[in-house]
Amino acid sequence: MAENFAQHSNISAADLDRLTREAQAEATPSTARIIWNEFKADRPALISLFVVVGFILFVMVGALFIDTPKMMETNIVNYFNRPLTAGFPLGADAGGRSILLELIVGSRNSIGIALGLTVISSTFGICWGLISGYFSGYVDWGMQRVYDFMMMLPMTMMIIVLVTIIPHYNAVTLTLIFSIFYWEGTSRLIRSRTLAESGKDYAAASLTSGTNRWKIIFRDIMPNISSLIIVDTTLSFAENIGVETGLSYLGFGLPSQTPSLGTMIANANDPNNITQYWWTWLPAALEIIILCLAISYIGQVLRRAADASQRQGTAD
Amino acid sequence: MSLIEIKDLKVHYPIRSGFWNRVTDSVKAVDGITFNIEAGETYGLVGESGSGKSTTGKSVVGLEKVTSGSILYQGKDITQRRNRQLLDYNRDVQMIFQDSLSSLNPRKRIEDIIAEPLRNFEHLTKDQEKLRVLQLLDIVGLDADALYKYPHQFSGGQRQRIGVARAVATNPKLIIADEPVSALDLSVQAQVLNFMKKIQRDFGISYLFISHDLGVVRHMCTNIAIMNRGRLVEVGTRDDIYNHPLHIYTKRLLAAIPDVNVSERAAHRAMRQKVEQIYQSNRHDYYDDTGEAYPLVQVSPTHSVALPPELAHQLLAQESEAQD
Amino acid sequence: MWKTILRRLLIMIPEVIILSILVFLLAKAMPGDPFTGSINPKADPEQIHHLMKLNGLYDPWYQQYWHWVVHLFHGNLGNSYQYQEPVSRLIAGRAGNTLWLALFTMILTYAMALPMGVFAGRHEGQLPDTVIRVYTYVTYCIPFFVILVIGIWVFGYILGWFPTTGSISPNANGWAQTIGSHLTHILLPGLLGALFGTVNIVQYLRSEVIDAKHSDYVRTAQSKGVPSKDIYRHHIFRNSLLPIAAFAGYSITGLLNGSIFTETVFSYPGMGLLFVNSIIYRDYTVITALVLIYGILNLLGTLLSDIILSLVDPRIRID
Repeated sequence: MAENFAQHSNISAADLDRLTREAQAEATPSTARIIWNEFKADRPALISLFVVVGFILFVMVGALFIDTPKMMETNIVNYFNRPLTAGFPLGADAGGRSILLELIVGSRNSIGIALGLTVISSTFGICWGLISGYFSGYVDWGMQRVYDFMMMLPMTMMIIVLVTIIPHYNAVTLTLIFSIFYWEGTSRLIRSRTLAESGKDYAAASLTSGTNRWKIIFRDIMPNISSLIIVDTTLSFAENIGVETGLSYLGFGLPSQTPSLGTMIANANDPNNITQYWWTWLPAALEIIILCLAISYIGQVLRRAADASQRQGTAD
Repeated sequence: MSLIEIKDLKVHYPIRSGFWNRVTDSVKAVDGITFNIEAGETYGLVGESGSGKSTTGKSVVGLEKVTSGSILYQGKDITQRRNRQLLDYNRDVQMIFQDSLSSLNPRKRIEDIIAEPLRNFEHLTKDQEKLRVLQLLDIVGLDADALYKYPHQFSGGQRQRIGVARAVATNPKLIIADEPVSALDLSVQAQVLNFMKKIQRDFGISYLFISHDLGVVRHMCTNIAIMNRGRLVEVGTRDDIYNHPLHIYTKRLLAAIPDVNVSERAAHRAMRQKVEQIYQSNRHDYYDDTGEAYPLVQVSPTHSVALPPELAHQLLAQESEAQD
Repeated sequence: MWKTILRRLLIMIPEVIILSILVFLLAKAMPGDPFTGSINPKADPEQIHHLMKLNGLYDPWYQQYWHWVVHLFHGNLGNSYQYQEPVSRLIAGRAGNTLWLALFTMILTYAMALPMGVFAGRHEGQLPDTVIRVYTYVTYCIPFFVILVIGIWVFGYILGWFPTTGSISPNANGWAQTIGSHLTHILLPGLLGALFGTVNIVQYLRSEVIDAKHSDYVRTAQSKGVPSKDIYRHHIFRNSLLPIAAFAGYSITGLLNGSIFTETVFSYPGMGLLFVNSIIYRDYTVITALVLIYGILNLLGTLLSDIILSLVDPRIRID
């Protein structure tokens, strides 16, 4: 059989190395590289990326050096210390706790949960959308009915009810509870793109090349919607920061001894705090605003970069 | 024994309607067709768009869920998925698609595209595999530096060559070519067709050549089947179909081939109008009361036509008179 | 058309049944029993045991569920332990506030979004378009509750333009003052909600207008000399109207979800605040009723949108 090919071609094993080298010299950069190059060209986006990544690393590492239980101890002496007083660059809250330290630990907790939620819910939503979109028919129908049902549930209420039911919850269980309700948007988006992709001939060609269906889904179709996945994941990360902080703000997220950006903003619920002791909640609110804006901005530029690579991809 | 035997193949798509969404009717994309493909030949399947010829091709390669009927390969019915897996069926039966861009995964490099069937059906070492891919590229007339490029960097003709290289990779016995050149420029069409013929000679491949272009089919095929609304209306050798067409549908298709000879334009036009007139006035003779084609009847060892037997023989007599 | 609606309604039935079972089981799973706190903190365990038995709380869950459903159909949602009154009456008293605020928010949303969307699309790439796009981008990114907190801080406390708690001033007398006071109380939450709600509509309308602007039928109208004002009003805007109306149904979900935050921030006595308080006091009957009501409202919202969309484009009809 191999001879059959050798017979009709002038290429033999001796040429292999030379030809491989030649081909490598002519190799085209991968899509990921093209997107990265496009992204790099946008200076504000690059700065945003460095700021966001730097900030996340800072709070992750910084929180390691803070003794949280000790920090959360009430210290009446420092009751509502104003910002820029000794030892309290951002002031203190009603318990005399340093706002700056709370902010660092709170950011770590909130961002950590948002990251976890993004990873779990996006992974689940992507798989759901890919499978539902590729296997049309009964599988898709069933999965769509589950989707419809999930969409009907009043999300915030269900999360709050679940949180009250589970006796000893922590950051991990909280993340899992959130994940139950936050995969739908991603799955819908991915499903509609998968429907379009799986109708294309390359999926059929892979099937006739003997590739099994699961491999086609995850190795053929998924790379083709990878730019959509990257953009959607980035944008849902920005959105997910609001999920835990919102619930913690209402008092149903992280327990009160565990600082979170949400519990800090909840200081604003007290009419006195909100005006008089603004430093107890405003920094956390501003931090959320800046983080969300920066991350979404990165997402927007990624989308533009992905579109650009798409244009190159289909240019004839 | 034929390479592949298609028997009474039917592919129906259900139409759901009514309040309970029950199946109330079906679209008969392919409605009971029978033909055999011999080893080494090019079998032409011709029809207008929507006639079910692509669906037939996809059924033969195993991409379409068949409603009823059988496709026998090495004595096994490959409409069943289990039998396809048992035989490593797609190692022997491959496909070339019409849209060369859509049939090549835009996110894969050419090496990975061509090597895909090799990786699934043959267990080669990395070097053997790369060598095979390079040889295949050479066979279809592309340079080795295509190896690490993406499909969009090639022209339509080059992409179709890559598609052929992938189809040939496992040295199959049959390739379904679904309108392989209809999307290409005329100048490129001839190139691709000729090298498809060359590959056929070199590797002893059979083609099921699906096309709406009778000019191309004449160039490629030894046996031809004409398909109309899911059924075969005429089957025969190249000579039967082009020189002794019996069914009005075949005649209309032939009349529609543009004639390059300008001096005979008027005659050609008159002929076309005559065929059209016969079609308009005698349509009910050629189709049954529901507008479907009749079952095939054999009029010569190689030639069959979907007509009532009396009419078929009458037409055959007329035909031979006209020849004399 | 009617078939589509009827079929949709039929699909809803199993969804509502599953929702009710889910809600019922969740309520069962909540810690504590409904009597320990309600009668007398020092009540004899024997007595509680007796009460539980009397109320069928030891029956298998499906029997209890059946009883609960039968009661539901009689309009009996049980009693609130916290407020000591029938849940149906309690919720009826709050539902008005929530729905009134939601309606007001929706009106504001459309009143703001329609001109903004058309304007942005019409002046694509110019300064007003950029401003509107930055606005939608910023409001889309920031979590809703942060917008609410910042809003109440700036407009309610610092500037003092709006009241910051309640749904009506206690001093309001007469119908004119009552309505006026109601309005001032929902103005700020409504505006902030609308700020958030406009994003989707503005973005949709803007891209529709831009697409339409470059379409052949608009060019034809232009070349015939139709004034551009009429083109926008009669050709472009009217085409996008129904899809935009369909947003109303989907946005019900968002408004209801948001009501929990809005009503907490503004201490506005609606169903959202009632829910939060009921959770704090473990008032299960109220919680189950509210989750059920919100779920059904979500369902009706989606139904409404689907129907509107199927009017626009027969291809979308749900099968």
